[in-house]
Amino acid sequence: MSGKRIWNKAILLVAASMMIVSILTACRGGAEAPVTPQAKTMDDVAKGRVGVLLGTVYDTYLQKNYPNAQVLQYKNYPDLILAVQSEKVDSGFINCQAFKELQKENPFLVTLVTDVFTNPVGVGFNQENDALREEFNAFLAGIKSDGVYDDWYQRWIKNGNYAMPVIENPKNNGKLVVGIVSDKGYPFTVLENNKLVGSDIEIIERFGAYLKKEVVFSDMEFGGLIAAVSTNKVEMIVSTIMITDERKKQVDFSDPYFELSACVMGAKKESETARKEAPSFFQGVADSFYNNIIAENRYLLIVDGIKTTGVISVFAILFGTLLGALICFMRMSRQWLAQGVAKIYISVIRGIPVLVLLMLIFYVVFARVDVNPVVAAILAFGVNFAAYVSEMFRASIESIDKGQTEAGIAGGFTKAQTFIYIVMPQAIRRVLPVYKGELITLVKMTSIVGYIAVQDLTKASDIIRSRTFDAFFPLIMTAVLYFCISWLLLWLLDMAEQKTALKRSASKTNG
Amino acid sequence: MITVEHLSKKFGNFSVLKDINAEIKKGEVISIIGPSGTGKSTFLRCLNLLEQPSGGHIVIDGEDILKKGVNVPKLRQKMGMVFQSFNLYEHLTVMGNVTLGPIKLRGQGKKEAEEKAAELLRMVGLSEKADSYPDELSGGQKQRVAIARCLAMEPEIILFDEPTSALDPTMISEVLAVIRRLAKNGMTMAIVTHEMDFARDVSTRVFYMDEGFIYEEGSPKDIFESPQKEKTRAFIQRLRILKHEIGSQHFDLYKLNADIEAFCAKHTIDKSIVGNILLIAEETLVNMLLPLKKEGQIISLALEYAEKRGEFQMVLGYPGEVYNPMLDEGGDNLALMIVKKKTKNIQHSYSNGINQLLISM
Repeated sequence: MSGKRIWNKAILLVAASMMIVSILTACRGGAEAPVTPQAKTMDDVAKGRVGVLLGTVYDTYLQKNYPNAQVLQYKNYPDLILAVQSEKVDSGFINCQAFKELQKENPFLVTLVTDVFTNPVGVGFNQENDALREEFNAFLAGIKSDGVYDDWYQRWIKNGNYAMPVIENPKNNGKLVVGIVSDKGYPFTVLENNKLVGSDIEIIERFGAYLKKEVVFSDMEFGGLIAAVSTNKVEMIVSTIMITDERKKQVDFSDPYFELSACVMGAKKESETARKEAPSFFQGVADSFYNNIIAENRYLLIVDGIKTTGVISVFAILFGTLLGALICFMRMSRQWLAQGVAKIYISVIRGIPVLVLLMLIFYVVFARVDVNPVVAAILAFGVNFAAYVSEMFRASIESIDKGQTEAGIAGGFTKAQTFIYIVMPQAIRRVLPVYKGELITLVKMTSIVGYIAVQDLTKASDIIRSRTFDAFFPLIMTAVLYFCISWLLLWLLDMAEQKTALKRSASKTNG
Repeated sequence: MITVEHLSKKFGNFSVLKDINAEIKKGEVISIIGPSGTGKSTFLRCLNLLEQPSGGHIVIDGEDILKKGVNVPKLRQKMGMVFQSFNLYEHLTVMGNVTLGPIKLRGQGKKEAEEKAAELLRMVGLSEKADSYPDELSGGQKQRVAIARCLAMEPEIILFDEPTSALDPTMISEVLAVIRRLAKNGMTMAIVTHEMDFARDVSTRVFYMDEGFIYEEGSPKDIFESPQKEKTRAFIQRLRILKHEIGSQHFDLYKLNADIEAFCAKHTIDKSIVGNILLIAEETLVNMLLPLKKEGQIISLALEYAEKRGEFQMVLGYPGEVYNPMLDEGGDNLALMIVKKKTKNIQHSYSNGINQLLISM
């Protein structure tokens, strides 16, 4: 009956959110950057705050050579660049090859120190998979001798020519699962027109063709690569991984396929930047909208992300609610064993951060099983959700007056009938408000699934950010979309709630 | 219909019901009365096994329901129960409350159940409230719905557990009227109640429970007009008792007086009556009994106040030979005159070497 009104409301909400996005996006240009002296040597750099990428060799390098430096770690390049731009750090470590590319799109970036050190880059394999590693080394030696490697090096690393060559692959020899990081950036790995390209991608595709295997990419966080290959989730990992002693303990590396050098970047001082004429408000919003959503069909990424987030949320809620009901039943049982199991379950699961739980389930519980990461995510969030809602269920059931149960029992209902017809309808009504809150928490919590190579809404926005380096618009758009998903789920729940609610208001108005 | 043999119930080490033997026949209305905490409700709740008895037998229509394998829920469908706190299903309307059992348990169709329910609601005077929720009703209305809910299951007996204790006085009568009507129609009922007048009017038999068993039972006339046992009498007449023992010739008269005054103050007794009581106590004790008391003997004094009738009775017990000071012409005549003047009636009895003087005021 009020469906139309609800949709009107929804449209209004989205419009309002977009306004906020626009205002925030348009206003950021006005931020004044404080003036800081520009470092010229590593000693100068080490005096300030240095940003590095999480799980890279730069951190180790700094700790070894400049133990007093203040190091801040970031998850991906867009975050790091944002930090440099907004002066959260004074300088940032980055490999020189990627930096060349980044400078093109971010003119405010300057080189502070070049070629601090170099490090060989290799492909990682499971330590028990010598055969594949040997094959890769043979393949590498092959392309080095027939000139393909030189051509590859010239094109990607030296000249910055990003055209992917066509690689013939009969694909009649099964599959090759490769762990990558899709938002690594030019020239290594990027998603262009929703297709993976880059130097690493070409190497992988060529190796796949060499083996006549179809390449299956598994996209994950850089920090998750090594865990993934050591638990055989993927057969090899390729993401311009620098070969270090520490990493060698976990995985075996191929022969190096090129040397990566480290640079230090900083932001231009305000005086040095000829401030661009700020585009008009609507022009700014329109540009951001075009770059982040329309260009290269990026909305497809977002749509897929929303689908994934939605699927994980909905199934985790269903699974978690059922499991929660079971745990609640066990917790309230008089049997000490069931009760004990439930108690331990609740306290253990509630004591583990959900991110850790997610990684544990994917990398440890399913270490030897080939499981779809979306399923693992549903399991992890469901298991977590169950621990919380089971206690909510218990609290609401226990809050129902004992007299209700007694009346049912005395009226001739069995215990089960009393619960179903009398206690449960009342308990559901009481639990709904807190349950809704927990449900929203779950939806938002799914934003960490990127850690196990699931491309959800957050990951999609990360990928877009890695391409456009527009930090604000994708973030705020993501925020709005999460809000909409939660809102939609709550709306569905409200529909369900109206069925359990007392029809009091109706009876009042009619009579 | 229901026979109870040697029923007992313990909560931990605490024995609530000790040895209950009773029989309830079809068509009887049993009132269960007695002081608080003597197991009346527990007894009732044992009958439909809301409390699992610790021992004994409950035989319904020849079947011992405490045996294993008895379909207890099925049995309870034939035994309605009305609670002190109503316990209406909060999430259902009045109509829903009355029809839930018939639909879910007796397989009645919705329409059939609602027609029957409407009839019952008319009977308890709540036709208008069929679509209301319990929290929109007054206590008396809720309790009447609860009764209709029981009746919808067409029970063979209804157990009432203090049905009016949670009601304020203005609503008690509407509920009692419905129960009276059921009694008139021949419904078998067991009612735990504190409404003595109601119990006297409506019941065919009364159980007086005390100390965890049926202390005395009988017709309402027997129990309410001539209770045989001391505790029953004390309860029925709502006696308030002050006891005092005098062991020494030189006892503390002022302490006794102070105790009597405090006792009277507690029960808001009129000043002039208090004066009379003090006077009679002093005259009888000091001037009549104490002079005769031998070393080691104890005189007991009990002051009973029957709240219901507003009457006082003093009971004096003293050992020795048969002796009624009221017949003693040679004693202190002035004291005798005062006592006789201030009292209605004085009775003397003697048994087991103890004289008892009953002084009614």
